[in-house]
Amino acid sequence: MTLFDASTWIGPWPFAFLEAHTPRSLVSHLRRHGIGRALVSPLDGVFAPEPGPANRALLRATRSFPGLLPVPLINPTLANWPDELAACAADNRVRVVRVLPSYHRVPLGGAGMRRLVEELQTRGLRLALQVRLIDERHEYHGLSLKPVALAALTRFLSSYPNTPILVGGLLRSDVTKLAPSHPRMLVDLAYAEWLDTVRTLLVPARPEQLVFASHSPFLVTAAATAKLNAAKLPSSRRERIAHRNLDRFLLP
Amino acid sequence: MSILDVHTHPLFRAEGCVRETVGAFLNHARAQGITRVVALGDVLAYGRSPTAAQLREINDDTAWLVATYPGQIMGFCYLNPTLGERAVRAEVDRGVALGLRGIKLEIANNARDACMRPVMQAAEEHGLVVLQHAWSMTKIRQRRFHTDPEDAVLLARRYPNVRVIMAHLTGCGVRGVLAARGCDNLWVDTSGAAPEAGLVGYAVEHLGARRVLYGSDAPIRDYAVALARITDAGLTTSEQGRILGQNAKELLNWS
Repeated sequence: MTLFDASTWIGPWPFAFLEAHTPRSLVSHLRRHGIGRALVSPLDGVFAPEPGPANRALLRATRSFPGLLPVPLINPTLANWPDELAACAADNRVRVVRVLPSYHRVPLGGAGMRRLVEELQTRGLRLALQVRLIDERHEYHGLSLKPVALAALTRFLSSYPNTPILVGGLLRSDVTKLAPSHPRMLVDLAYAEWLDTVRTLLVPARPEQLVFASHSPFLVTAAATAKLNAAKLPSSRRERIAHRNLDRFLLP
Repeated sequence: MSILDVHTHPLFRAEGCVRETVGAFLNHARAQGITRVVALGDVLAYGRSPTAAQLREINDDTAWLVATYPGQIMGFCYLNPTLGERAVRAEVDRGVALGLRGIKLEIANNARDACMRPVMQAAEEHGLVVLQHAWSMTKIRQRRFHTDPEDAVLLARRYPNVRVIMAHLTGCGVRGVLAARGCDNLWVDTSGAAPEAGLVGYAVEHLGARRVLYGSDAPIRDYAVALARITDAGLTTSEQGRILGQNAKELLNWS
């Protein structure tokens, strides 16, 4: 049970027949796949007017599940985000917050993001950016959402060259372009795929940049473990991707 | 279990997958228990509407794969229906003579178009399976030349004597599965996009396990990931066996 999952979610998703996990059902599901720990965020906060209630429910509901590390959603375009961050940070389990630029219309080059990064640095917290939650070709027909543009992400990462940032939802082609020039970026493996994925990604990316991620319940959890297990890696390198890189990322 | 993958592209020059790398491509497959693959050609090597000469080059490469890896690779003949009946007929005849056993259609035109008639007639005459690329056009909005699952189903209904594989279950989605219900000459392959949860189980529930074929789209996708879509879908051993090999063996008459 050494796998540490960088992307899981609880709650309902209205646009697909997905498991609406509670913390208990998520822990049980992950255990079946050999995943002992996971970062978890609340789907209820994606479409809500503001993520506060979903964050508080997340913090409350995960309290009895030490394997789940709550990752609140922060929307830096809302006036209350500093209070929201402070409220979340008061829970000492919170080591990282997640921003959904596409869903919350957060410009990465805006003042809100700049102030959020500064505040996270002051507090010793980490940032996770989710560039896509689902494949944009399969979004609900009534929504007009696009993933974060690679150019905007590049500019953002270049602005914080010394700050470790976890990026979720990148495709293989994105990783190839971004990883070499942004060595402090951590890549969540959920959406990156190619023949022999992990070894392929280890050409542009360094072993310390890749982190295991199932993106449950959106993606097939066994696919994430298969992706890692299929790669013929030395055990030390596998351990890095399986959990050590994420452990290190979360250190203050 | 001997697994058969109905959707692969062993040659994919734009990404460095060339004749010299095919051995490694097949080794990766064997490492996952996949002993046979269908090669569909380097279909986007010349854009979405290749010329007759470009098609011949692509299909010659596929024939080379079949000849070089007998028993491991079955080849499909890639066509551009917009080139017209004469060109289509000539390439199908040539492909059959080269040992190709099916027809691959990509995004030169929509499967509803009239130019599909000679393709489907040739398929029927030669007993060839037709694999039609399909993806939901709800968001992509390229339906003029890009086939929506509803178009692939219409194609199969128009030609009930031709066996059609609607590619990319993940791209076709729930709407595609529902459109395919009751269409007995249509199968759907499990390839396409990231391994979105729930779709394989949904397809088996609504179409039955006999209508679903394992396909990976390798090297664009990872064999191990593609297999997990099926092995983690809550299916019975018998259903998995059908999808991973038995259905394709029967459909392609590849014993």
